[in-house]
Amino acid sequence: MRLLSINWGLVLLVIAIAAIGVAMLYSSAGGSWDPWAGRQLARFIIGLCVMVVVAVIDISLYARYAYLLYGVTLVGLVGVEVMGSIGMGAQRWIDLGFFQIQPSEIMKLALVLALARYFHGVMPEHIGRPTVLIVPLIMVLLPIALVLKQPNLGTATLLLLGSGAIFFLAGVRLWKFAIVIGAGLAALPIAWEFLHDYQKRRVLTFLDPEADPLGAGYNILQSMIALGSGGVFGKGYLLGTQSQLRFVPEVHTDFIFPQLAEEFGMIGGLLLILLYVCVFGYALAIGLGCRHQFGRLVALGIGTQLFLYVFINLSMVMGLIPVVGIPLPLVSYGGSATMTLMIGVGLILSVSVHRERRLPRRLDHG
Amino acid sequence: MTDGYQPTFDAGTPLPPLSAVHIPEGSPFSPGQRPRPTIMLDGQTKQAIETGRNRLMIVGAVFCFCFLALALRLFDLGVFSRPDEPRGAAVVEPVVERAPIVDRNGNILATNLTTASLYADASKVIDVDEAVTKLMRVLPDLSRGELDAKLRSGKSFVWVKRNLTPRQEYEVNSLGLPGLAFQREERRVYPYGRLAAHVVGFVDIDSKGISGIESRFDDLLRDPSRHGMPLKLSIDIRVQHAVTDELSRAVKTFSAIGGSAIVQDVRTGEIVAMVSLPDFDPNNPREATPENRFNRSTLGTYEMGSTFKTFNTAMALDSGTAKLTSGFDATHPIRYGRFTINDDHAKARWLTVPEIFVYSSNIGSVKMALAAGTERQREFMTRIGMTRRLPIELPEAGAPQVPNPWREINTMTVAFGHGISVTPLHLSTGVAALINGGIYFPPTLLRAETDRPPTGERVITSKTSSAMRRLMRLNSVMGTGKNADVPGYWVGGKTGTAEKVGAHGGYARKSLLSSFVAGFPMTEPRYVVLVMIDEPKGTKETHGYATGGWTAAPAVANIVERIAPMLGVLPTQGPDPATAEGILIAASAGKD
Repeated sequence: MRLLSINWGLVLLVIAIAAIGVAMLYSSAGGSWDPWAGRQLARFIIGLCVMVVVAVIDISLYARYAYLLYGVTLVGLVGVEVMGSIGMGAQRWIDLGFFQIQPSEIMKLALVLALARYFHGVMPEHIGRPTVLIVPLIMVLLPIALVLKQPNLGTATLLLLGSGAIFFLAGVRLWKFAIVIGAGLAALPIAWEFLHDYQKRRVLTFLDPEADPLGAGYNILQSMIALGSGGVFGKGYLLGTQSQLRFVPEVHTDFIFPQLAEEFGMIGGLLLILLYVCVFGYALAIGLGCRHQFGRLVALGIGTQLFLYVFINLSMVMGLIPVVGIPLPLVSYGGSATMTLMIGVGLILSVSVHRERRLPRRLDHG
Repeated sequence: MTDGYQPTFDAGTPLPPLSAVHIPEGSPFSPGQRPRPTIMLDGQTKQAIETGRNRLMIVGAVFCFCFLALALRLFDLGVFSRPDEPRGAAVVEPVVERAPIVDRNGNILATNLTTASLYADASKVIDVDEAVTKLMRVLPDLSRGELDAKLRSGKSFVWVKRNLTPRQEYEVNSLGLPGLAFQREERRVYPYGRLAAHVVGFVDIDSKGISGIESRFDDLLRDPSRHGMPLKLSIDIRVQHAVTDELSRAVKTFSAIGGSAIVQDVRTGEIVAMVSLPDFDPNNPREATPENRFNRSTLGTYEMGSTFKTFNTAMALDSGTAKLTSGFDATHPIRYGRFTINDDHAKARWLTVPEIFVYSSNIGSVKMALAAGTERQREFMTRIGMTRRLPIELPEAGAPQVPNPWREINTMTVAFGHGISVTPLHLSTGVAALINGGIYFPPTLLRAETDRPPTGERVITSKTSSAMRRLMRLNSVMGTGKNADVPGYWVGGKTGTAEKVGAHGGYARKSLLSSFVAGFPMTEPRYVVLVMIDEPKGTKETHGYATGGWTAAPAVANIVERIAPMLGVLPTQGPDPATAEGILIAASAGKD
């Protein structure tokens, strides 16, 4: 019966966006299922099943095991760090043999669940107490520090902004945000001194995109040319020369939007943006309609993350912000990110299914 | 409503939904209507809920604003951007536009290819280890140690690799490494490779000419006021190919260490082909050894040996100290101090001038030279260009080594081409003047821009020139140059087999410099062909001989046969110049 109460409108939206993604991957391979479109489709179908399963599982289970999941994922991040320092270079994966897990991906969901669980347990009138914020701040900063060390600036940004949105929605006073931001800025020069030279240069390169004319500069320029060359109505499906001829690097992953805009023009790009707006509309409405704080924060937290994905990616390909490696949700090629996003949508659906569920303030620690 | 202030409840009463209305699925945009909550709530909680709702609205508004901004940006790009914007990133315009070099028919000998060169701003390379590993994967021929040192240098500009292929450029771009960038460059390419490498020369990595025409005309080739107009050489690449081919074969056949060959237009001094072996590929000049880069034709000076007898004979005839019918005593070797001058195939009798020429008699030549005298000889050798550096348009122009002081003994040795060292180009240019009617044209590698005949300098009378033509032709009919004859082209020439000065001074009998200098057609000479082979070894076919007549003369014959049709010289019938009155009679006079 729970299947019937799933918000199928949201599911249809997700299918529509993913279909666009598969179609673009088919085009960016020059009109071929190989090497991206076919695999992405298979992943998406599996992801869809996982999403539905996630949606019908009782939401109290997520609340109960939120801390455990967070703790395990944190250990995983540390593990990656240790393995990374033993092995060669930056390692983000844990190989389970049959399946590769990227703890930083899971952390995106685990952190939302853990924070939602925490603020769910805080009485509304206590939210004003400064001491209440100590635990969640640590909960946020630990994984961010670990992810930054990988280094994975994109995920760290998502974690930070997504968590900030949860704090905001949970009712933390605005002046406290001001204090945290101010303290953060004040601490920057001190932290700067602790950075290695190469880390400093990495930050400087990030702040000064001109310093990277080959990587970021090249991608961005090609991307904007592709965006512009599509005009209003585009060149037509499979006819985007800029992308097809590989002038745009990484077109199948982070830079897939320029190809869409080239082949379907401004209209196509706006349509995709509209679909995303509808997804966020659903997430907001589901959060709004939920009777418990946990579900509300989960729906809005994950919704915010989705929004950040889309916003950062689109701003990046349009040359509004420096390049950070963030894919376009459900459209870009990539297994790990797609699966995380599908599970995330599953969680939003679960909130919708269980919006009337009574959730005690105190939960057993799973 | 929980334990905080409603202790009767153990586990939570659910909060009312923020909107307190059921939002129907599929219609997400309904939060605009906000009915008052129906449940009575404590003030603080109520305020918290109110805050939550407000903040949700704020987040929604921020989302909407952000997407509106994106949509506007997309609109801006889609509607206002020009699709013909340049697509290269971080690319600087080419530095030099170097004019091409072409042969006399317009075939491109040197031109430019726009390539990309990779440089690094070492201060902006973040992870040197990563950068080195990735670059080595794409550009495996780099030296890892060098690359590592460069990227750690902290300098804001270090070359990583010059002139990448488009494929390599793409692959480096795909690495997306910070601190690396491309500089558009022009790479000089030589489509004919080794052909004419010594003539055209080559450029360094910065497209600066450092040898050959590239160096001599470096400023001209870079001159922007010429608008990239090609520099036209006198070289004919087809002839160059044939000459290179034949010389290579001769060098290989006789296991020689090298060789030189020149084809020169006797009417203009233009060099149509000039080869030096061993050669090199100007596209990869750094792989060439100095030995390969050495231009034997214009830089190397050699004692030419018997080919100098053409000059000796012309001098004697032109100065009037000898006539074609004159006789000289070649009965005995000449002793001068500790030296003895012998003939290889001594006739041990009086010889006429044509006999001295075709038997290549050293004794007779010395007698002729002594009859003319030291001063006449020196004056003549200067007139015919043997004592000065040639005004050839190459930096690689060797200065002759001439006797100083020029004594009687020098007069004797110069008569048969020893004790004076000149470049092969000296020889061919001088011989050209001897057979073209007596006008000396300075050698040139540039194609004249007009058809007006160049002005030369008369060095011998046309009568002497005519005699020289017949003598040289005679040598190919009955003398040491028989192997150079090609039916219909009236080839006439003179052999030379000089013993090279060994490492310890003195002459090494086994190290020869065998040459043949010829003109064709001797009825009306058009071209001089010179072939010189450095240290040839005899073969079974040559009965162990490695002399000019056995090694260089056949090569000249092959060259003439191949290039005459290209140069528009048609085979002709008619009386052989060698049979002309006087010559044969004089030559046969002493015959038994």
